[in-house]
Amino acid sequence: MKEPNSENNIIKATNISFYYNKKIVLKEISVEIPECSIFAVVGPSGQGKTTFLKIFNRLWETIPYARLEGEVNIRLNGKWINIYEKSVSLPFLRRSVGMIFQTPNPLPMSIFKNVAFPLKLSGYKDKLLIEKKVEDVLKKVYLWNEVKNRLVDDARSLSGGQQQRLCIARALIFEPEILLMDEPTSFLDAKSGRIIETLLLSLKDRCTILLISHSMEQVKRIADLTMELSII
Amino acid sequence: MKQSFLEICIKSFAWFSGLFLLSAVFLIMCYLIIKGWGAFGFSLVFGDVPPLDALFLHRKVFSGLFPAIVGTYMLVILAVGMATPVGIAAGIYLAEYGKERIKSFFSLFYDILAGIPSIVIGLFGFSIAIFLHRYIKEIYPCLFISAMALAILVLPYLIRTTQFAMENIPEDVRLTAPALGADKLQNILYVLFPRSLSGITSGVILAIGRCAEDTAVIMLTGVVASAGIPKSLMSSYEALPFYIYYISSQYRTSQELQTGYGAAIILLLICAGLFLTAFFIKNIMIDRILYRS
Repeated sequence: MKEPNSENNIIKATNISFYYNKKIVLKEISVEIPECSIFAVVGPSGQGKTTFLKIFNRLWETIPYARLEGEVNIRLNGKWINIYEKSVSLPFLRRSVGMIFQTPNPLPMSIFKNVAFPLKLSGYKDKLLIEKKVEDVLKKVYLWNEVKNRLVDDARSLSGGQQQRLCIARALIFEPEILLMDEPTSFLDAKSGRIIETLLLSLKDRCTILLISHSMEQVKRIADLTMELSII
Repeated sequence: MKQSFLEICIKSFAWFSGLFLLSAVFLIMCYLIIKGWGAFGFSLVFGDVPPLDALFLHRKVFSGLFPAIVGTYMLVILAVGMATPVGIAAGIYLAEYGKERIKSFFSLFYDILAGIPSIVIGLFGFSIAIFLHRYIKEIYPCLFISAMALAILVLPYLIRTTQFAMENIPEDVRLTAPALGADKLQNILYVLFPRSLSGITSGVILAIGRCAEDTAVIMLTGVVASAGIPKSLMSSYEALPFYIYYISSQYRTSQELQTGYGAAIILLLICAGLFLTAFFIKNIMIDRILYRS
């Protein structure tokens, strides 16, 4: 791993160990991630890559019998916070640290409602503002022209690549500072995958991307830093 | 690929079982229609009263099934209306909030409740009516008590179907909303509950069927052979399953027996109507919750 420039770091995780039941999944990992970079996590299947990502938005906490040791600090709005402190609000953390899953997971609603869903969750009422934000974010993921005439259609009627871009748009609507991406192109054809890679490169100046990838070519093409999670 | 002998056997047995069930349903329907068709008509429902007069309650129907039909409708709607919110809430609790030990403890009790014979639930309702009568003299076995007892009878179905529908939601759907900043309640309201609606509807349909057909519970809690349209929740009432039971055990002429078959056809039609209503409500809810922007 290349040495990050510590002044620009946005994530600092120290001595992370993760247990599921009594089995150790991650062992004493320490990592510093500079902002506005694409940080790739590679390694064979079953080495806890997805778990590693979920540490940064605390999404693992619903797993029964799981336990985490170590400290995770993230710089949000220019302020370092330990995300496992009691005072940290989960909705705030997850709005600042978005996540994209391996399979596109649009909810069974219209395209518009899917993208506006996070706004609804945090109680936005102003329709014009919501429409504006949805349009902006759909443009950001190069989806606006493809869907602007069918915003009321079921989101599941889109193609796989479009669905994944929709999910990225949905995660971007609060302008998160970090995006966690769990093999976002693994279920897509090469062309759709390339579109998403271009998109990730264009998002890099606004947010930091943690990317799990199975494809070494992809990592070579877009990643700034690489970490390998290997067998414990 | 060539199928093995065992595989052919299993396949034919499965086909045979499916066909057997279908033909049983078909035979029962045909039997009912052949036996009951002669009695079928306005006079079966309204007797000698003109239908419109009966529907607007201008004149009472004495010799038709109209009061029993109204009684059955009221009973089913009341019982399912009481049981559904409680059942769904309990199911959500078990699936989303209950800790492992509490969950298995409660699940055991709901399964026991599901296994209790309906006559025992009827006795329970009857005891409640008597208990209440001691303090409030106006309370006798009545429509309300019957509906309550039936609600208890169908609660376990509703609880378990809600619980299973929610627990079977795939992990990636379950995590979608939390990853976008939803808290637990928002996740349940906006994602998990709408996703489970189909499963929950099948539970409601089971409950409707059970409430419409059950005779043992209502026999002990307020149904009578002749009461007219129920005047209030506290009055006794007529119901189709009880009418069918009553006629089949005490008929004097073959014509009377034929009205029993006619009543059975009407009961089936009512059930079908209620099932369709349940589906309709489900579709409206899905539309409202999910597609309105």
